[in-house]
Amino acid sequence: MGSFLKDGVADVRTVAKGWRWGRRSMVPRSAEAFVPPARTTVFPTDWSRRRPARYAREVAQKGALEPLMRSQVRRRVEGLDVLARIDGPVIFAANHASHLDTPLILLSLPDEWRRRTAVAAAADYFFDTWWRAVGSAIVFNTFPIDRRGGSMATTPGEVLGEGWSLVIFPEGTRSKDGWVGRFQLGAAYLAVQHGVPVVPVAHRGTFAAMPRGQGWPSPGRRQLTVRFGEPLHPGEGEAARDFAPRIKDAVSALLDEDRSTWWEARRRAASGATPDPGGPAIAEWRRVWEQTEPVGVDPTAAPLRPWRR
Amino acid sequence: MTRPGFVLEVDDRTPPIVVHEGEGFRLENFPLGTRVVYPPESLPSVPDVDGAIRDALLNPVDSDPLPERLFAGMRLTIAFDDLSLPLPPMRAPDIRQRIIEQVLTMAADAGVDDVHIVAANALHRRMTPAELKHIVGERVFRSFHPQGLLYNHDAEDRDNLLHIGLTDKGEDVEINRRAAESDLLVYVNVNLVAMDGGHKSVPIGLASYKSLKHHHNSQTMVRSHSFMDHTKSHLHHSAWRMGRLLKEHLNIFQIETTLDNNVFPAPYEFLMKREWEWSVKDQASMLAMRRGLAVAPKRMRHKMFHDLRAPYGLTGIHAGDTEAVHERTIAAVHRQQMVEVQGQSDVLVMGVPFLGPYNVNSTMNPILATCMGLGYYFNSYRNQPVVRRGGAVILYHPLEPDFSQLHHPSYVDFYEEILAESTDPAVIEEKYEQQFATDPWYIHLYRTSHAYHGVHPFYMWYWAAHAMDHVDDVIWVGGNRKVAQRLGFRAASTLADALEMASGTVGTSPSITYLHNPPHLIADVH
Repeated sequence: MGSFLKDGVADVRTVAKGWRWGRRSMVPRSAEAFVPPARTTVFPTDWSRRRPARYAREVAQKGALEPLMRSQVRRRVEGLDVLARIDGPVIFAANHASHLDTPLILLSLPDEWRRRTAVAAAADYFFDTWWRAVGSAIVFNTFPIDRRGGSMATTPGEVLGEGWSLVIFPEGTRSKDGWVGRFQLGAAYLAVQHGVPVVPVAHRGTFAAMPRGQGWPSPGRRQLTVRFGEPLHPGEGEAARDFAPRIKDAVSALLDEDRSTWWEARRRAASGATPDPGGPAIAEWRRVWEQTEPVGVDPTAAPLRPWRR
Repeated sequence: MTRPGFVLEVDDRTPPIVVHEGEGFRLENFPLGTRVVYPPESLPSVPDVDGAIRDALLNPVDSDPLPERLFAGMRLTIAFDDLSLPLPPMRAPDIRQRIIEQVLTMAADAGVDDVHIVAANALHRRMTPAELKHIVGERVFRSFHPQGLLYNHDAEDRDNLLHIGLTDKGEDVEINRRAAESDLLVYVNVNLVAMDGGHKSVPIGLASYKSLKHHHNSQTMVRSHSFMDHTKSHLHHSAWRMGRLLKEHLNIFQIETTLDNNVFPAPYEFLMKREWEWSVKDQASMLAMRRGLAVAPKRMRHKMFHDLRAPYGLTGIHAGDTEAVHERTIAAVHRQQMVEVQGQSDVLVMGVPFLGPYNVNSTMNPILATCMGLGYYFNSYRNQPVVRRGGAVILYHPLEPDFSQLHHPSYVDFYEEILAESTDPAVIEEKYEQQFATDPWYIHLYRTSHAYHGVHPFYMWYWAAHAMDHVDDVIWVGGNRKVAQRLGFRAASTLADALEMASGTVGTSPSITYLHNPPHLIADVH
């Protein structure tokens, strides 16, 4: 009996390690050419925007996610006042460097906005298994979008039409080195199509805290910053192709502002000297090195408190 | 879509890989860089099997349609492959049943009265009525077996054998008299691997020892490179000569079928999947099976594996002239099983599973395990062996000295007496084969009980002769040490130990190739 249990435990350990339990499975390199094309699974998420799921999400986000985030990272949120001046729905367009981005943005929003915000998530990544799909739909209010342009059960337009704001990462995937990649047209297209404003969002520090390949934030409560910018409205007859660069410029200016000050960033933007968010053309390691530097927060810019802590 | 077979190179992302070892399997962490040859996935099977059979019989290759060759008053014999094919046995209805039923329907329509149905078991054991019934189906069994018209071929019944003549190389061709004297012999084959079928069907399946000894010997087997490639197999060259002689004397209508790679039924499908694609369910099934096997008594373990019935699908059926049909059959087998492998390696690793052709509903004794590993699996190549000359072979099997007294009586003596004297195939052939082949007690058991012929263990040993001649070291992982020693090999408890032991032959960092078999595969080595 003893050896039966011992061997059983050894077997479970072998499988847990070999099949990477709790982590995404991997394909041996030499077998990658033989991976069958992923089937487009149509996963309905309407239920996740109905009342029972919303209650469950409130509990999950406020009862679990928020304390968890607070225990693992420090956050500083700026620019939320822009939301006071507009009504939803809007599209939050943000740079994308980590799995921390979504909880960071959602938990930074005022409750009434957070409760009406859905997140567009890659169907092939977050909706590849039922449990991942259900989990992310309940906790983050995700709905699947096909990165390869296929059709899905729910389109982002429908979600917008129901009055939900959307979080979209126009880069389409997490950055490999922390710098901002090419913006795709999806967010601009949706804004033009549905006449909704785009709120640019820039955040820093998530790549340093939890880059690609890492399943949990690095220890030490890293500093994250998130900054919401002035809403952008697509102009009359403005094409998505013209609107998309404006979104990227706004995000770039916000990143610049986060590093310096609003005034300096404005002046640089006016003279067309906003630093390229794609980063300098230098060696790969230097790009990563720069992005993994802890985000410094000016102590004078810390929120003023009536009582010294 | 069916994915082709391919060669995996083990890297840091590769999960442990399944290796069969008798009635069980283990998860093995192969050294980085090990090549693992995976067979192609199952080809799409024929959706309308009965329609495909009818079509093959009505539109045969290089032959008149079957109905035109049937006439009232004729002597019709239907022969079929015995229970050594396919492996594991096919889930009912067996493909042979469906073919024989259609042949008989056409024969009935043509008014044929004189029909015999003969299992082409050569020197294999007689099948029990239940085993015959599983192959031919209840309807055929009920119509023919009680009347004595459905029976096993008896290679020792002198009155019912006919010597047809000699080939140009002086080989005796002697087969079942009823088959030889029929107006038409219909042969129903299951071409599981490339070795089967063609002229191996009638000239071997219905032959006697006198005829078989010309190609079932150590010299022929050592020169067959390999016996899974009939164009380069001396065994097959001999069978082809015999078949061509037979063709001059009797009318043969050959029906050959090919199967897909659906070897394991639910819930064991995970054994056919590529490990990194195992779902949570597959992992759970595997863990449950491992624990179940660990506590199950030997008898239950045996039953669990031997009760497996494979959900094989039909990938092709061809009928007509033997050689023309076989050409098409081999192409279909290659499509399903061929994997291209670049270059030989120093070490070849193979897991010997619970079943080979000669232990269906029986025990895999150490001689059969050797035949399966060093015979069938080693020879599953084209062009050149997967392992280089002078390399090492590592096999997985418990090698328990368990023998079925009912099915393998001569194996016991072969193991206890002959292998104790010598393990050299040529030596034991020279000194002892005749004695076993003509032993009246073994012949009696072969004819009246369910025993393999007395000479059969010798053939098993010859089957492995090419491998023994080709490699310098054979090591059994998890094998019984005493048994391995008796067989002339060595045993190790783990792969690491086996590689350590083989380092004297192949060095300390050898190139390793593992054949992920079953499902069946043929390595096309360039």
